[in-house]
Amino acid sequence: MSSLITPVEHGRTGGLPAWLAHLASSAANWPTAYRARLQERPRRTVLLSALVVLVFAYPLLNRAVLQPFSRNVFPLPAPDDTTVVFMLIFATMAIGLNIVIGFAGLLDLGYVAFYALGAYSAAYLASPHWSGVSILLFSDLPAGFPGIHLPFFIIFWAAALVAALFGALLGAPTLRLRGDYLAIVTLGFGEIVPVFFKNLVNVHFSFGPIQLVNANLTGGPLGINPIDAPELFGIKFGVIHGFNAVYLALAVVAMSIVIARNLERSRMGRAWMAIREDETAAEMMGVNTVRTKLLAFGLGASFAGFAGAMQASYQGATTSDFFMFATSILVVIMIILGGIGNIWGVILGAITVQYVDKTLLGWVGNRLKDTGVAIGSPQLGEINPSQFSFLLLGLALVLMMRFRPEGLLPSRQRAAELHAAPPDQALGSAAVMEIEEEVIEEAEPEDVDATTDPPPEPGAASGPPDTPGRPGGVT
Amino acid sequence: MSAMAGAPLAELRTGHVPDDQLLVRARGVTKRFGGLVAVNSVDFDIPRGAIVSLIGPNGAGKTTFFNMITGYYVPTRGDISFDGHPIVSMKGEKARSKKPHEVTALGIGRTFQNIRLFSTMSALDNVLVGQHVHLRSHWWDAVLRTPLLLAEEERATERAHALLEFLGLGARAHTWARNLPYGDQRRLEIARALATSPKLLLLDEPTAGMNASETREMTDLIRRLRAELGLTVLLIEHDMRVVMGISDRVTVLDYGEVLAEGSPAEVRANPRVIEAYLGRGAAEEG
Repeated sequence: MSSLITPVEHGRTGGLPAWLAHLASSAANWPTAYRARLQERPRRTVLLSALVVLVFAYPLLNRAVLQPFSRNVFPLPAPDDTTVVFMLIFATMAIGLNIVIGFAGLLDLGYVAFYALGAYSAAYLASPHWSGVSILLFSDLPAGFPGIHLPFFIIFWAAALVAALFGALLGAPTLRLRGDYLAIVTLGFGEIVPVFFKNLVNVHFSFGPIQLVNANLTGGPLGINPIDAPELFGIKFGVIHGFNAVYLALAVVAMSIVIARNLERSRMGRAWMAIREDETAAEMMGVNTVRTKLLAFGLGASFAGFAGAMQASYQGATTSDFFMFATSILVVIMIILGGIGNIWGVILGAITVQYVDKTLLGWVGNRLKDTGVAIGSPQLGEINPSQFSFLLLGLALVLMMRFRPEGLLPSRQRAAELHAAPPDQALGSAAVMEIEEEVIEEAEPEDVDATTDPPPEPGAASGPPDTPGRPGGVT
Repeated sequence: MSAMAGAPLAELRTGHVPDDQLLVRARGVTKRFGGLVAVNSVDFDIPRGAIVSLIGPNGAGKTTFFNMITGYYVPTRGDISFDGHPIVSMKGEKARSKKPHEVTALGIGRTFQNIRLFSTMSALDNVLVGQHVHLRSHWWDAVLRTPLLLAEEERATERAHALLEFLGLGARAHTWARNLPYGDQRRLEIARALATSPKLLLLDEPTAGMNASETREMTDLIRRLRAELGLTVLLIEHDMRVVMGISDRVTVLDYGEVLAEGSPAEVRANPRVIEAYLGRGAAEEG
């Protein structure tokens, strides 16, 4: 019986060979597993498979069928390749921000800073920006070509690493803050970083051996370009290479989904959720809350690093204008609309918001113009709905909060939180719970000596009256 | 296990049990909140294998004392050691305390006066969070789903099921904590505390809000925790039948100071206790 109380044992597990063997066996088992799922939940599995096929066929379909006929055949316009790539880039960011806000419950309003750091890291490592040096690695550029030019599979991870490091760097002093305070600090960080990139263009700096005269560190308002297009196995994925990049972005999103889901189902994911539910209780149950929150912040930021590397290499240019504060808010809106806490929900949110913003509104503008001409009032065509995208998103947010606060595809937790009875009523006999002050209330100690009677908690108002007349409320 | 409890408890006053038989040894523990002295220079021992109760009127400093043992509050001054490890020690004029998660790792598990479960996580996940401190997998194991992680998760899940079974919650593993009936929530809190592999279990009013038969079940459970799992238990409780029924020793706090201590019978007979505590409003609970 005492085995109940001893911690589980940690046997040796064989390291890399065992892992590879495990991977091989799961791969070999995949058809069986798929068939089992198909029998268990046929509708869901078929739907999901169809979705995967559709997603992979989309760029071809788009080219062959949708684009030429979209006006006549479909009521809504089909997004072009660039829009699809940006849907996927924002989906990657939404998955990352969902780890921070959705899993760990830390409101990060400066997420765009990590996107910027990822993009600029990628730009530094694959452009002629550092023209004083010539470092080429697996590059088809001629020897002596100015700048650092590393292959995409290196800069991709480097960008994630830089973003994660800055996430940890920002997190270390600030994650002791709770709630609103953290949001404000991250907000400041999100404002500072783009300004920093915009302005470090004529830097004069002298400290010991470091002498900078009129140094161009970030390219200023013009940003950095040209950045090498991503290249893997001899295939290029730049903006000029057709729909290739859609598949690269799909691969990045797929990887992000796997990583985020694996984290969610692990000891770390459970610790994040425990912190979200009750930070104090989590701490008392042995969760090192500072380290765990730091990890959420750092790992969440690394997804923005992926996204930044994608943006910079795909477009071949990056400027600080991409990383204005509004972009942070946009990602937050995406995950709120999609359904905080649910990976599939936040992806849906990212895709929807990008689609509306980049494709639908422009199309509506054109329809307005056509209509204006047809009914003889060309002023109608001067309305540009794209200018109102934030107005419309704000409106959508207000409507969502009113009618479906948990988002389009909510996590079970959020849906329950927002629709069930408050916990006190759900408890039944808990109505007789004591209304002594919370066990380890975070209230200021000053409150304790100021009150003689602990004020009854509003949530427990149905309980019996407290035993009166004792000072303090800390027990 | 109860044989182990008998011998060292012959002498029931703090300071009379040899140090090597003590699990917790607290000396001169004081906690001030601004001008209020919540706990004033308290000496307190918990012998290994004992069930010790801390009683006292509301505001006497019981939970504050709990919170200092678990590292949540840093005392103003004092020394607390647990199983030979210092939890609180004086460094010059300031008391230094281990962090709550470090204390949990040493082997102190606790429940809360107001239930503090992770409400939208399943009972199973609640217990798994309790095991967190003893699990070794890192985030990269999680990302890659390494054999280490898979083996560990399997063992941890097995143990979590066993713990739920022990607490009679076997059928509730996948129910959200908030959807459990009140008594089950209380027991799930104990399961979660047991998952931290404690040597000492702190129970803060485990029978609060329970009817007579639920209270009896809880009392039996606390006895089983000692008999079957070899735990030492520190109890805060207002229900005098529970306190008098299962405690080896009882310490009474009033206004942050030790008013009396000894066996339940001694404490019950102590006139100061009757005057300060049982004589007032709380008596009707007993």
